Amino acid sequence: MDLSVEIGGKKLANPVGVASGTFGYGGEYEQLVDFSAIGALYTKAVTLGPRPGNDIPRIIETPSGLLNSIGLANVGVDRFISEKMPYCAGLPCAIVVNVAGAAADEYAAVLDKLEACDGIWGYEINVSCPNVKHGGMAFGTDPALVERLTAGLRGRTTKPLIVKLTPNVTDIRDVAKAAQEGGADAVSCINTLVGMVIDVAAKKPVLPLGTGGLSGPAIRPVGVAATYAVSRAVSIPVIGIGGITGAHDALQYLLAGASAIQIGTSNFVDPRTASDVLAGIREFCEQEKVTSIKDLHRFIP
Amino acid sequence: MKQFIARIVSHAPVSDCFFELTFDWGRSAGVPRPGQFCTLRVSPYTAPLLRRPFAFSSYDEKAGTASIAYKKRGPATELLAGKAPGDSIDIIGPLGNDFATLTPPDISRNYLVAGGTGFGPIRFLASAFSQTAQGCVLVLGCRTKSQLPRFTALPSARAIVCTDDGSEGIKGTPLTYLESLAPDPGGKAAVYCCGPLPLLRACHRWAETRGYPCFVAMEQTMACGVGACMGCAVKVNDAASGYARACTEGPVFDSRRMVWT
Repeated sequence: MDLSVEIGGKKLANPVGVASGTFGYGGEYEQLVDFSAIGALYTKAVTLGPRPGNDIPRIIETPSGLLNSIGLANVGVDRFISEKMPYCAGLPCAIVVNVAGAAADEYAAVLDKLEACDGIWGYEINVSCPNVKHGGMAFGTDPALVERLTAGLRGRTTKPLIVKLTPNVTDIRDVAKAAQEGGADAVSCINTLVGMVIDVAAKKPVLPLGTGGLSGPAIRPVGVAATYAVSRAVSIPVIGIGGITGAHDALQYLLAGASAIQIGTSNFVDPRTASDVLAGIREFCEQEKVTSIKDLHRFIP
Repeated sequence: MKQFIARIVSHAPVSDCFFELTFDWGRSAGVPRPGQFCTLRVSPYTAPLLRRPFAFSSYDEKAGTASIAYKKRGPATELLAGKAPGDSIDIIGPLGNDFATLTPPDISRNYLVAGGTGFGPIRFLASAFSQTAQGCVLVLGCRTKSQLPRFTALPSARAIVCTDDGSEGIKGTPLTYLESLAPDPGGKAAVYCCGPLPLLRACHRWAETRGYPCFVAMEQTMACGVGACMGCAVKVNDAASGYARACTEGPVFDSRRMVWT
């Protein structure tokens, strides 16, 4: 059985990744996880300059979910390269740097700096953060902008380029197709859904910006449906994300058409989720005599 | 820091609204210190979803057990209250910094101030101080007598009890007591506080007028507990970003660092 995954001509040892924003830069979980069981670590989003993040409070739990408004808090690309990358580069898993920006030239500037850096497997382009005023989801909801941004970045790197899609659109397939047209090697499907929680006693939203991004098991059926639709609309690999808590959930995504998956919110609940998911996928494939991840796609036409 | 499954040793109410949970401590995880916390997964299902952080209320090296104190105030703590001795629970810890790492030298008197469930970590701190023979005044605030925790008396800590309704001890909050104190001629005192935000703020202001250093344990909603998610940010005045993570840069902060609003 071969559980490796090929994206943009490069291989990931296994299909299980840990999602951007839920695993920091890796070191935070050093004492709690076995990185050799992780196929890819998608870093916290990196922007050109440091970002303090949004006003507090930033998170609130919802029914089987988590609503967040972190606001891409990060140290900026220069400090990422000098302080975080040396540790990341020593990990046994692939390092996919999540790149964000307020404008197209910012994405390009971040990518150019990262290109000069060793140890990066590929990039995930964040055009789907719902918690920033500029860039983020403002890009990801417009297929033409996504195509242009992707094409611009495509010209700057030969490494795998993954575009992370927002579900906050009428038809996610249009954006996925635009990313493919722009030269993306894969799409991550999905980022968080826009949500709001209101403090009834205070008569105002809990999050200072009003809305946040909803993640966790509550959004899993949305992610699986999006993965099913997108994997039939594009020919590049789809990386399924949204509410995966165990192998059973991951297999829903893989059966729906995903070539790989990412664990997000569940890392907070149990940092060992990724290794448990990998073990469970392997066991299922053995039982069902499935020879590869691709082989799982034949069950649901 | 380690993740491990612990067996619950005892679980009992310590007042009419607070509980103390004692469990086998995975020694290889390290020794929990006063101010530090652990996160517990209270349900194997998806609601409540996130682990919940609880400060240590004691650690018994000989017995190899640690304790937390909590109040039932939502679905997660309701579920926790249903756990019985012998049950197992998923723990990650010890997490965060501790009071001792910030303690200045040459302090002769420590005011240990607790409001509500803050009595847990403050009692833990008091027991650590009693071992180093530093003078301690334990100031404990509660709404009413029936909420007062039945905690073991500490050898070297004098306990002052304050209740909002005057049903036990001083009528008022811990601040009522602190403000009644004559200025300390030596000036070598420090204040440690754990409890609701208004109490932390009031302690900080009182300590500032007296010129005492003050250390507060900040509470904030947490997701990861290990510094990865940036969710538990609190406002500080000495960081370029304006924020610090309660889980890793705290939960204990020098009160002069905090932006008090």
